[in-house]
This record gives sequence, C-alpha cells and structure tokens, in this order.
Amino acid sequence: MSGGRALRDRVLVALAVLIVWQVAALVCGPHWISPPLMTARRFGQLALNGELARHALYTLAAAAGGFVVGGVPGAVLPFALRRAPRLAAILDPYLVAGYGMPKLALAPLFILWFGIGLASKMALVASIAFFLIFFSTAAGVRGTDVRLVAMARVAGASEQAVARHVVWPSAVPYVFAGLKISLSYAIGAAVVGELISSNRGLGYLIQAGANDFDTTTVFAALTALTLLIVGLNALVEAAERRLLRWRPVDAQPARRLVTAA
Amino acid sequence: MSEGAVLLEVRGLGRRFEPRADRGEAVFAIRDLSFDVREQEFLTIVGPSGSGKSTLLNLIAQIDAPTEGEIRFRGRPIAAATAGALRPGWDRQFGYVTQDDTLLPWRTLIENVLFPLRVQGRLSAQTRDRASELMSTVGLEGFERYYPHELSGGMRKRAALIRTLVYDPPVILMDEPFGALDAQTRTQLQADLLRLWNLGRKTIVFVTHDIAEAIALGDRTLVFTRAPARVQSEHRIPIARPRDVRTIYGVDGFAETYERIRKELQ
Repeated sequence: MSGGRALRDRVLVALAVLIVWQVAALVCGPHWISPPLMTARRFGQLALNGELARHALYTLAAAAGGFVVGGVPGAVLPFALRRAPRLAAILDPYLVAGYGMPKLALAPLFILWFGIGLASKMALVASIAFFLIFFSTAAGVRGTDVRLVAMARVAGASEQAVARHVVWPSAVPYVFAGLKISLSYAIGAAVVGELISSNRGLGYLIQAGANDFDTTTVFAALTALTLLIVGLNALVEAAERRLLRWRPVDAQPARRLVTAA
Repeated sequence: MSEGAVLLEVRGLGRRFEPRADRGEAVFAIRDLSFDVREQEFLTIVGPSGSGKSTLLNLIAQIDAPTEGEIRFRGRPIAAATAGALRPGWDRQFGYVTQDDTLLPWRTLIENVLFPLRVQGRLSAQTRDRASELMSTVGLEGFERYYPHELSGGMRKRAALIRTLVYDPPVILMDEPFGALDAQTRTQLQADLLRLWNLGRKTIVFVTHDIAEAIALGDRTLVFTRAPARVQSEHRIPIARPRDVRTIYGVDGFAETYERIRKELQ
C-alpha cells in the first residue's frame, strides 16, 4: 500500500470514528458520553494548566519503572536457562503458573506491601511485564537455528559469544513482540493500580472524574492514555526497525501482522 | 600427492540414533567405519543419500558424539564413545562448510566472513587484509556490505567457504557444499575451490552424492555403503593436478573411474 493512500484511508477511519462518537453522544446525552468537541476542549484545558502532564508523567513513571524491574529479568532469564536445561525443566511449571495467574488480583496485596505510592504500581506492572517478556524471549531463544549455533561453536565461539552473536539477534524480533504486547498491559496495570488507590496518575484522574459524574474529564483522560500508548508503541517500533534493519524489506508486513496479533 | 603422514584416523566408528517414543527401532547411521585421511589430502566420499555421510562429518567436527569407536587426530584421540564433553571444531582445527550456507542473516557479508576471527579475538589489520584478499579471489569484492538474503546462492556459498578459510584450520570438512546450486555455478565453485586449495594445501574431507564431483576434486574417493555406513571401496583418482573441472570429463582415467564407482553405488 502506498504511503499517501494509507494516510488518506486512515484519516477517513478517524472521521468515521468521530462521527459514531458524536452520534452516540447525541443519542445518550453528554452526561453519559462526552462528545468529541467537549472532550477536546477539556483535554486542551488540562494540558494547558499542566494537570495532564502531571498525571501522565506519574502513570508513565510507574509503567516505565515496573517495565525495567520486571522486563529486564524477563529478557535475561531465558539466556541463563538456555545453559541450564535441567533448571529450566524444573522451573517451567512454576513459570507457566505465574504467567497464568491474574496479576490484577494481586493489586490489593501490593498496596498492602508497598503502600499507595509509586512502588505498588511498579510492582504490579513488573509482575505483568516479567512473564510476558520472559515467554516471548524464551520462544525466540528456543527458536534459534541450531545449525547457526553449531557453525559458531565450530568456528571457535565461546558460549557467551554464541549467546551474544547468534542467540540474541535471533531472539530480538521475539523480544520486541513481547515488548509491544506488554507495553499496553503495563500502562493498563499502572492505571488499575491508580484506580484502586492513588492521588495522582491518569487512573486517579479517571476515578476522580467518574466520582464527580464528570464524564468529560474521564474521556479526556482516556484520550491521553491512548495517545501515551500509541506514542510509546511508535518509539518501540522505531527501535525495532533500527535493530532489524538487516531484514528483507518484504518480510516486514508479515512480521507486523504476526506481532500485532 | 597424498603420501603425507596420517592426520585423521577413524576407527570402528558408530553412531546410533534412538527412536522416537514407541516408534521404530534404534538405527545406526554409521557402524564399524574405519579409514584414514592423510596430511594435505583431498578425500572425497560418495554414498547413497541417507548413508550417514553428514553424521560422519558432524562426529569429526564434534558437534555430535559417537556411540562406538573413536577418531584420532595427529595420533591423539579427539572423539570416542567414552569421551566427555564435545569440543566443536576441536580448537579451530576443523573448519566445516555445511549443505546450507549458515551465514548469519543479520550480518553483512564481510561481517560474516570476519565472524570466526571476531569470536576468536583475532581481528587485526593483517587478518582483515587476508579476508578481503580471499573475498576478491572468489569475486566477492564490492559485495562486502550486502546482507546474505540480498545475494545469490552461489555468492553465499563462496562467502561460507571464505569464512572457513579465513581462520586457516588445517582440516576442512565439506558436506555437499555445492549440492543446491545450478550446474554452471557448481562448476565455477569447484574451480574456485581447487584454486584455493592449491594456494595453501589443506586437508579436505568432502562429502557428495555426485560421482563426477568426487572424481574431479579428490585425490582419493571412498564409496560408502547404505546405512549403517561402512567403506565399501576405495579409489585412487589417477588424474594429475592442476585439474580443470570444465574439461575433466575427457581426461584419461575419468571415464573408467566413473564407471567403476557407478557400478558399486547401484
């Protein structure tokens, strides 16, 4: 698809969404569904008086902090377990159980443990990011072509060199798939943490707005959240394109379809 | 021509593959396999497909362990049924060019060629020069910054060959390296290989299912039986070097040797 046409079609889709939104607001009334223009105006007000940035930065800090605390070990552990297949076999059912456990149910516990500040939200985000990134990275590590590993070993590469020069580059697309999936979950978890108990963050803004029957603020906060996720996703995709620029150009759309699923 | 000292001794070698869960029986890919390879010899091995030729090379390269017997290199046992951990390549003594080119898709051609030197910590101005020299010997100059998927099968094969030569292992194992190429490219690569081999004679163990290729390249050809592979017969190739692979079919001794081997393979 050519860039110009894609852009035009996307603008058309945006218009359609705005029309549906406006019609829904007219049918249900602005107290239930805040119409686009009112939402935009509130968004502008909150952006100008700095409230939006204050709340968004808090949410972003919780998500980013948790992402680092959970995601880095999640990406490193598969490489360590590659060298210890027995340990990997022992840990496997526990990791699967950990992955399956609904993390949001842990939120009250984390608040008990870490208080109502940033730490409890970071813990919630970390518990989600760890498992998502661990399992996608592990799939990439497992999927490394054994013939490439054998070649590298025969050519004199140490285990560390194999991990760095063969396994890591093979796993990169999987790491990014995990990153992209966990990105929206991470923001979501931070917001849920704020909904439960907080005095800052976009989740708090939504909660406060709803308590006041101020759906316009809720909608503005939701818009901010969506923009935040879209922006972060674009950053991750830019990093991915840079790291994967060796790939054949025609393989890109297929990959995007797969990782978006 | 091939009367150097014995370099590699394969003695009573066997490799059994266990069956998948409750299906079939354990099979020996090779069993009771014994032969010698001499210093600077170009040994070719032909056999029916599935006769354990690749298994043999994997055992010599030490990416797989034998179930029986042993392999000695310069008189020292390097692989045996009783031995411990594998040491792939036996400390860079064995280069291995496999059927698929196994270039790293995320590295440019020159970075692929330099890969062994980089992981061995031997990258220097000198070794880099040698790499570019080898690249131009096989006509790859100008393609240094291309990624493998941007190049033809023949070029990738050349790069894989150069990648092995660049760190100068005394023995090179080749597993049907030109099998997947068209006839013309194959002939060109065979000529390249002979030329490179003449520059600095290495010991080569070259596996193929193509009788003509085995004769054109080798000092000696071993014919393997069906699995479990053993040496069925041995043929000294009575063709002087340097050889021209394009005209080798008409050279004295080619037709007779070809016919003899073909009969045995039936």
